[in-house]
Amino acid sequence: MTNFIIKYYRQIILICILLGLGFGSLIPFSETDPEIRNYVPSTMESRILTDKIETEFGIQDIVMVIFRDSTILTPGNLNSIRQIDRDISRLSGVTSRISPFTVRTITSTEGMMTADPLIMRIPSDPNEFAALEDEILKNRFAKDIVISSDMTSASITATINQAEPEKTTIQKIDSIIASHQSSAEVLTGGLPYIRQHIMKDVKRDALILVPIALFLMLLVLKLNLNDWRAVLMPFSVVLFSTALCTGMIPLLGWKLSIISLLVPVILIAVANNYGIYLVTRFQEINQRKDEASTGNMLKELTGTLNMPILFSGLTTIAGILGLLAHSIIPARQAGVLAATGVTAALIMSLLYIPAMIYAQKGQIGSKKQPVRQHFIFKTWLDKLSSVIVKYPGRIITGFAFATLIFALGITFIKIETNQENYFPKKSPVRMASDLINSKFGGSQTVSVMIEGDIKEPEIMNGIDRLTQRLETMDGVGNVFSISQAVREMSKAIYTDSENMYDRIPETRDGIAQMFELYNMSGDPDDFSQMMNLENTSAHVLVRLSNPDNKTINEVKSVISSGIKEIPGIVTVGGYAVIMNDFASSIIKGQVFSLIFAMLTVFILLALIFRSLKGGLTGTIPLAVSIVILVGFMGFTGIAIDAATALLSSIMIGVGVDFTIQFIWCFNSQIVKGLSYEESVRSSMRIIGRSIVINGLTVMSGFSVLIFSGFASIRFFGYLVIVSISSCLLGAIILVPAIIMKFRPQFVKKDMSKPKFIRHENKNLTSDIPGVAAFAPGSTRAGRGADHE
Amino acid sequence: MPLGAQGQDAEQIMNKSRDLSLLSSMKATIKLSITEKNGAVRNRTVAMTTKSFPGGLEKRFIRFVEPADVRGTSMLVIDHKDKADEMWIYLPALKKTRRIVSRDKGKSFMSSEFSNADMSSPTLSDFTHRHSANSGNANTWLIESIPKNEDIASEYGYSKKISHICMEKFHVQKMEFYNFDNELFKIIETKDIQSFRDGKYMIKNMIASNRITGRKSEILFSNIDDRVSVEDSFFSVQNLER
Repeated sequence: MTNFIIKYYRQIILICILLGLGFGSLIPFSETDPEIRNYVPSTMESRILTDKIETEFGIQDIVMVIFRDSTILTPGNLNSIRQIDRDISRLSGVTSRISPFTVRTITSTEGMMTADPLIMRIPSDPNEFAALEDEILKNRFAKDIVISSDMTSASITATINQAEPEKTTIQKIDSIIASHQSSAEVLTGGLPYIRQHIMKDVKRDALILVPIALFLMLLVLKLNLNDWRAVLMPFSVVLFSTALCTGMIPLLGWKLSIISLLVPVILIAVANNYGIYLVTRFQEINQRKDEASTGNMLKELTGTLNMPILFSGLTTIAGILGLLAHSIIPARQAGVLAATGVTAALIMSLLYIPAMIYAQKGQIGSKKQPVRQHFIFKTWLDKLSSVIVKYPGRIITGFAFATLIFALGITFIKIETNQENYFPKKSPVRMASDLINSKFGGSQTVSVMIEGDIKEPEIMNGIDRLTQRLETMDGVGNVFSISQAVREMSKAIYTDSENMYDRIPETRDGIAQMFELYNMSGDPDDFSQMMNLENTSAHVLVRLSNPDNKTINEVKSVISSGIKEIPGIVTVGGYAVIMNDFASSIIKGQVFSLIFAMLTVFILLALIFRSLKGGLTGTIPLAVSIVILVGFMGFTGIAIDAATALLSSIMIGVGVDFTIQFIWCFNSQIVKGLSYEESVRSSMRIIGRSIVINGLTVMSGFSVLIFSGFASIRFFGYLVIVSISSCLLGAIILVPAIIMKFRPQFVKKDMSKPKFIRHENKNLTSDIPGVAAFAPGSTRAGRGADHE
Repeated sequence: MPLGAQGQDAEQIMNKSRDLSLLSSMKATIKLSITEKNGAVRNRTVAMTTKSFPGGLEKRFIRFVEPADVRGTSMLVIDHKDKADEMWIYLPALKKTRRIVSRDKGKSFMSSEFSNADMSSPTLSDFTHRHSANSGNANTWLIESIPKNEDIASEYGYSKKISHICMEKFHVQKMEFYNFDNELFKIIETKDIQSFRDGKYMIKNMIASNRITGRKSEILFSNIDDRVSVEDSFFSVQNLER
């Protein structure tokens, strides 16, 4: 292959550059999809059922405009709210709204029923304000729905439609708010706003994080490789492979999501690994071979590293492909994209970097600089290998103990699917969400659709009982149903001394005529969210003040028992139910992808090391790291969410690299005839530095995620540092300790020779100059080790 | 602007058209069909008797015939020219009569695409009227009616109405309603007109189409009797329960 590279080095370089530029030019065409419901497959039951409900009752996405002041009941505040409400009502993108000026008070006085807006005229004196406050507290459709019971906040809730793009409607609402002066603080929230913030923040993150990650990478590479030409090689592989996998997003018709943000960062962090191994190794070869030709040095380089790099790459790809077992769509897409990017990085590293070295005539770093950091590394790694050789049992026990401690943390693990929590606590969107949840019953919903003859008292009473049960639940903010309106109307028709006051009429005709009464007095659209015009479907809308999974599960359970008493076809859906399913998907996806990745990596390692024990030895540090990672999440309260769920697969993919490199190097030393102790020390000197540099570059690459606008991505950044550190320590401490303690036989088999060739040509390695500096009996390798 | 448009003031045209549509009394059967975007149809049949009184006062007595579950439900509507309408409703299943106050002219009439304002004589003083660009062409006046202030606009629920009025007979042929983004959102088309003596007329069949909701509503008057003699006492709350 080296001859091929030498012959076609110009073409190889050109193709790689063109690929990078070509795919890079597609990146601006990427679109963002902020809709988390699209993360779950459209075949998922909760999505199908929610779509069914939304076909009948429209999309239940609500925008909320919140006004907050020490007291909201002032002429100035109410005037602002009225003007903003009126302007919002005129937007074609808004279907309906609930505000202090649309909520009706159904009253019966002197035989006259009125269904008037809560505020007909803005009060002008303290007595009128006191009367209004009293009215609000008595009105079930106003209290904590349009005005908070502490009178400090008011809300306009607008249900948006698809007559205009959501973004346009949001922009119009924003400009309406901006055009009206208000002494009250105005906050906006609801899922459409959350989606717009996600769109904005995904783009902002991409524009900020990727350049920072690239800059950090450049810095780390410069510090470690010294020479700018040497730096440019792995760096350009990073650029090309990142461009390739990011450019694939629009090419495949996919859209950017919060999860896709991780893909370029994964690539930036991972794609330089192979280049670093190659460049550092070439610098070392170059340093001790003053007179050798570039071609010969290249042959030694590729012979030395191609196999372990290939195996590292394959296992990384296998680990990342574990994401395909996820049911979360962007997770699968991220798996495909990252795996493609790593494949590109692997191929480019094996072809493009040697081609570039050849093009540079091997001049990629000073030859005779005993760099200070080399000395620091050497001293530190020597000390470490001495400890490992001396106390392997204690090290294994220490790791086992730490693993057990962290395993306890797994019991505290939480699942997070609430999009509101993607944002940091002090972000405006999060503050609005918190206010909506605490004062106005929340914006996330569970929907129950009942199909049947809604005018039948049996069905209406069933809906009423369900509504009452739901209203008393913790975590439920507000419940809206047609039975509440019927009961309110009964209060206007009967006096409180009459039997039917605040009750559902006993006959079908009674209910039908009550609806007709409201059609004449109120606005039939008032009911459009609760019942269709044919009166064949009713909708119970539950707004959650605490939209966590526990609440959603409890609500689902109450609904399950409540609907048994309703003689109709009942469908349960809603955004919160989709999120609940999403949480289950995350757990299942996490478990499946973990099993898939671990099994694949185990099989690959067993094949590479030609031993089941080899597979097991390589897999143990990963298993330990996973336990440490998940335990750490449990102890620190970092939840498993759409982003952090990807971590374990990525960690396996990246972390296995270190183990392979170490065992491969150890094998090269032991087959040379060195003892176990000497092999550990020697391997640590040869490959330890590269592994540590690699670990640090991966961590530095991922560390930019802590600057993300999304809390969840920030946590991902912190966690990746924990997980890669544990993989790194597992590879350079636990693996040699296991080898020292148990002295498995597989490490003694010569891995550098393919099994099927070994019988045919025993001298193959000697024919190819430098098939591994690690190669057994190789004087070059021996010199290399000595030189180290 | 075409020559014809300069000949007659827009407000005069609207006044004349309105005056010709006012009947002293009338009795008819009304069938109201509401067609949802998905094709589902809901029908209502009512018997209606109206009578005009001096000072622009108009009274309507409506009794539901279909569907069966609301049969016997009766309504008395007193349409004041300058103040909120009064409305009483009797619910036979509940044996209760209740008075309803409705101040919102833009509110839907019996859940249809027609508003209460569409169903009664227009209060022309609420609007500024002017000729539209092509008024006078094709033998039709095109008159733009714009609410005089924000409150009136909100009450009616639109920012502009364009009435297509036949130049010869002053019959309203079509009305186009524009929302607050100045987009056409509702059209009422006259399908059939019944003419009476002295140039008087009433729209016998009209269809309202809402472009935003995709819903359509049709009103069809039948058994029209414009010479009905009705006692004033007929329009009483006591009569509702009979």
